Amino acid sequence: MVSRQRRLLSFPAEDGFLINALLVSGEFNREEDLYNTPIILLVHGVLGHFLARGTPRLLPNALEENGISSFLINSRMAFTGQMFGGAIFDESIMDVEAAVDVLVKEGFRKIIILGWSLGANISVYYAVNNPHPNVKGLVLEGCSSSLPRSNKRRLEKWNSVPSYDHIYDIAKKVLRPDPVTTQNDRVFIIYRAMGPTFDPGDVELYTYRTWWFMRGPEAYNAKTNEIISGVKLPVLFIHGDEDYIVGHEEPESLVEILNKAGNQNVQLSFIPKARHDCMENPEFTIDVLVEWLSNFKD
Amino acid sequence: MKTSMKDVDSTKYMEQELVSIPFGKSKIDGLYYNSTMRDEDDKANDTVIIHVHGFLGNFLDGSQRFLPPILAEGGYSSLAINTRMANFGLFFGYGILNDTIPQIDRVVEYLEELGYKNIILSGYSLGTSIVLRYAALRKDAKNFPNLKGVITLAAPYSMPDSIRRRWNKLGSEPSYDEVLEEAKEIIKPGREGTGHDRTILIYKARGDSYRPEHTEIYTYRTWWYLAGPEAHTAMGYKQIAEIKVPILLIQGWYDQIVKPEETHDLAQAALDAGNKDVSAFYVNAGHKFEDKEEELGDIIVRWLDRRFKL
Repeated sequence: MVSRQRRLLSFPAEDGFLINALLVSGEFNREEDLYNTPIILLVHGVLGHFLARGTPRLLPNALEENGISSFLINSRMAFTGQMFGGAIFDESIMDVEAAVDVLVKEGFRKIIILGWSLGANISVYYAVNNPHPNVKGLVLEGCSSSLPRSNKRRLEKWNSVPSYDHIYDIAKKVLRPDPVTTQNDRVFIIYRAMGPTFDPGDVELYTYRTWWFMRGPEAYNAKTNEIISGVKLPVLFIHGDEDYIVGHEEPESLVEILNKAGNQNVQLSFIPKARHDCMENPEFTIDVLVEWLSNFKD
Repeated sequence: MKTSMKDVDSTKYMEQELVSIPFGKSKIDGLYYNSTMRDEDDKANDTVIIHVHGFLGNFLDGSQRFLPPILAEGGYSSLAINTRMANFGLFFGYGILNDTIPQIDRVVEYLEELGYKNIILSGYSLGTSIVLRYAALRKDAKNFPNLKGVITLAAPYSMPDSIRRRWNKLGSEPSYDEVLEEAKEIIKPGREGTGHDRTILIYKARGDSYRPEHTEIYTYRTWWYLAGPEAHTAMGYKQIAEIKVPILLIQGWYDQIVKPEETHDLAQAALDAGNKDVSAFYVNAGHKFEDKEEELGDIIVRWLDRRFKL
C-alpha cells in the first residue's frame, strides 16, 4: 500500500537555482499503480507559486479525488522573481527539466505538464526543446498566444505609463552591451498596466532584463505562436469562457498552428462560467481533465 | 516510495505538514514541523515556536526554513507562517504591520487547539517588528497565558530609524525625506481606499548601485506604516519595553542591514523596563546568518531548554 502524501521537496535546477515543490498524491494499492497513473506537473502563473489561489491551490486536491497525483513547482518565475531579476523566461525550462528528472528518477512514466497562464507558455517552450520521453502530454490553461504581444496590447489598452515602446527603448539602453551578458539591470514600474488607475493593484513590476526575455519584442521564446508548431505531444487547451485576460481567439489560433504542423492530437475546451482561472468552475474543469487523461491509461 | 524524492527538510526528528488555517474569508498558510522527539517518559514537549518571515520573505526561505528542523531535533515543534506582509504585501498596498496582529492571534489559537501550552514567537528582520508588536499588545498574561517568550533574529532598534539611516548613508533615490513628503499627502485622513496610494521604487536603498538587489519597493501607505517617522508600531525599542515574557535576541556581528549595537540597545530597553529575563547573543555572521545555521539553532535550543524543557 502506498499511503496518501503531501510532501514538500527541494531540488536544484541545472544552474543551482533551488526549486521548491509539493507532491500531492492519494492512496495506491501498489507502487506500480502510482507510477503508471498520469501525474500532473503543474507550473504556476505570473507572480504565482504552488499555494496561489485558483488552479495551483484547488486543482491537486480535486485531481487526487479522481486518483491522479500532482507535482507543483515554484519555478524561478515564482513570487518576486520578475521584480528582482532572477526570473529569466528562457532559463525557466531548467526548472521544468529538473522537476521532470525528479519524477522520472522516482519512477513516474506518464508525466503531463499543466501550465497555467505564464506557466502554459513556459510549458510550450519546454515541450519544443527535446522533452523527456516520459512526458506524455501538455495541458495549457489560459494560454496566451504570445506574451510580448499580450503585454503590448494590454499596455496600449490602458495607456500605460511608461508605454510599451518607451520601455523597449529604455531597456535597450540599460541592458548594454547586450541583454544576455549585461551586468546592468534595474527594477521599473509600469503604472496603468492592468487597469485604468495608478493604484498599486493596476501596476506591473519587472526588471528590464526579466521584461526583455518575457515581454519584450525580442522575447522570441515567449512568442508561443511562433514556436508551438514544434510540439509533437498531445495537447489539451482549457480556457475560461469568460476569460478577459486572454481572448478566445488566442488558444484557437494555437490549435490551428498545431493542426497545420501535423499535430492532430489537440483538443480545446472552453470552461463555462470561468474567467482566467478554470477552477472557477471546478466540476466542469475536472470532468474535462479526467476524461482527457483517461487517454493515457494502459 | 523510493528515496530520490526525499524532502531535504525531512529528518527522523519530525513530521512536516503544509497547513492552511482558516482566517475570515481567507487562509493563513504555514508549514508545520511536528517534532517527534520524546522524553524518557515518552512525552512530547508542549512548546512550539511560530516563525515570522522577513522583508519579502515567506515560510520557504531563510531562517523560517532552516531553523525548524534544528529545533525539531531539540524536541521543539515549529509553525512557519506567511503573514500579509509576506511576498508582495508591501508592493501592492496590503502589507500593513498592525493588520498582521489578528492573523497571529488566529495562529496562536490554532496552536492552542493542537494542545500547545508554551507558545514562542520568533521573527527575522522585518518579522521582529511583527513579533515585538504582537507581544507588546498581548502582554496581559491573564488573557494570553500561553504566550511565553519572544525570539528576535537581526532586529532593528527601530525600523523607521534603521531605514532612514541606511537610505541617507547610501544616498537613496528618492531620499527618505522626499518619500516622506509624498507619503504625507497620500495618507491624509479620509484618503484610505480612495485610490490615492502608489507603488514606489527606492533605488540605492540596500547598497550602492541601481541594481535590483539594492532596490526596495513599497506603496506610500505600506512605507508609512513600516518606515515613516510616525510608525511607532515598527519601533522595536518602544514595543520591547512593554514585553514581560523572556526575550532572546540574536544578531550577526557583520550584518550590513542592521547594526550590531541595535541589539544591545534593544536588550537595554527591555532591561530598563524591568524585564528580568533578557538574553542577547552575537553570531559571527551577516544579516542572513549564512553558514551559522547550526550555531543559531543551538543557541535557541539551549535557551528553550533552560525555560521549557520537560
